[in-house]
Amino acid sequence: MNLAPATSTDTGWLLGLLQASDSLYPTGSYAHSFGLEGMIDAGAVRDRATLRAFLLNSVLPSLRNVDLPLSAHAWEAFGARDWFAVAEVCVLASALRAPRELRSAAEAIGRQRAELLANVHESELAREFLRRAGEGSWPHCTAVSAALEARVHGAPLAAVLAAVCYASVAGVIAAATKLLRLGQNAAQSLLTEMVSLCPAMVGPACELPLDEIGWFNPWLDAASARHETANARLFIS
Amino acid sequence: MNALDGHLHLRAVRATDGSTALSSQSFCAPFHLSKPNWDPDAEVLHVQVVNPTAGILEGDRLESSITVDTGAALLVTTPSASRLFRMTEGGHATGRQHFAVARDATLEVFLEPIVPHRGSTYFQETTIDAAEGSTLLFIDQLMPGRLAHGEAWSWDRLVLGLTVRRAGELIMRERFDQTGASLRSLAEFSGTGPGSCFANIVLLPATDEVTPAWRAEVTSLHRDGVWLGVSRLRTIGWCIRIISPDPIRLRDTLANLRSTLRLSYPRLGCGLRRP
Repeated sequence: MNLAPATSTDTGWLLGLLQASDSLYPTGSYAHSFGLEGMIDAGAVRDRATLRAFLLNSVLPSLRNVDLPLSAHAWEAFGARDWFAVAEVCVLASALRAPRELRSAAEAIGRQRAELLANVHESELAREFLRRAGEGSWPHCTAVSAALEARVHGAPLAAVLAAVCYASVAGVIAAATKLLRLGQNAAQSLLTEMVSLCPAMVGPACELPLDEIGWFNPWLDAASARHETANARLFIS
Repeated sequence: MNALDGHLHLRAVRATDGSTALSSQSFCAPFHLSKPNWDPDAEVLHVQVVNPTAGILEGDRLESSITVDTGAALLVTTPSASRLFRMTEGGHATGRQHFAVARDATLEVFLEPIVPHRGSTYFQETTIDAAEGSTLLFIDQLMPGRLAHGEAWSWDRLVLGLTVRRAGELIMRERFDQTGASLRSLAEFSGTGPGSCFANIVLLPATDEVTPAWRAEVTSLHRDGVWLGVSRLRTIGWCIRIISPDPIRLRDTLANLRSTLRLSYPRLGCGLRRP
């Protein structure tokens, strides 16, 4: 896999990743807390300290063992136009999220991101992916769409995995600012700390074989399942 | 170290009188099979898989495969916990188990918990292949350690893989890869306490049910410090996660769960012949 630092002066791919990570980009992720609201309802996340523990003990391990290696495998598969492998990663990504809300969140955002690539960026690769996914009923997921974005924009693997880390952590923290008493500086200091831990996760994630991908937090799964039928909730997931 | 290469192979078939019988069985230590018991009310054959040795030791390699043919109904239980004993650095034990259920067949697997002792490492891979029109209930449990000895979260590494396919399609894949210390961190953070015990349940009904009658009743078992969540798997079936502050509440919750499910699926949740 290409883990070499990006030395090219071509910054087109960087702008593409920045656009995809921007809150202006209409992926719909703002409507999801990715399980955080359920953990707050359960009383596990209450403040900055417990949010930090949630990020360290649940969000980062899930990134390291699920999303990053899925993106890495999808990036390779898209590069080789290996559609069988792309389909395999899509199905695995869906099967790895047992709770319906977490799975639906990943699939709704993943589908939207792939459609944006096809419609806004007019990418033939994205159009072919959407056509094949539709014909084969492949589930969409954010990890696969992130890899697709990287291929469309020509981004190196390490850069797209870093972007996946940033978007995932920032998404949870953004939701936390609406659910907890968490100021902007506190949110940014948490984001800074978590993002600083991400580069070390990129290399191992690229080496993880497909059959070793997986990680789950039983408490998060139970809380997310209960969130599905909660009487009141701010976020879809 | 006297490591064991154990195997267990079972096939359950529908007999001419409508009951279920074992058409083939093969096993060697540490596996042993108790005499099967036919439950005429539930119309289920109950088989207990016994490990007559102390538990699972370093170097042990266990392999089991259980197949239920069309029209048959089988309940597989274990009478006691599977203890994982201390292993030397780098040492480990492995287990591979495969369950196959045919159309119009029922399989319930209700295993007593894994109890990992200090310094143990275990790799287990479970595969379930359920045909369309089959019914499956799979219950797996994990204890944090030897709670009665004050030992918890002291294992080195546990890797528990679960792959569930229905009609050949992957509907669930999970990989639990945790050190004792990492799971203790999660238990402390989540507030279920130092004795947190787990059950992981997969339910695949014969036909798709978006709002099954049992869901509200099972969901209500989330109480008294027990976390319980019910969620629908992709395409079909259900995943139920339970985290209990102690083994007694876990046992009671599972008993209530099985009783509730039995109302919807008469061949699941049948009696275990336990006091």
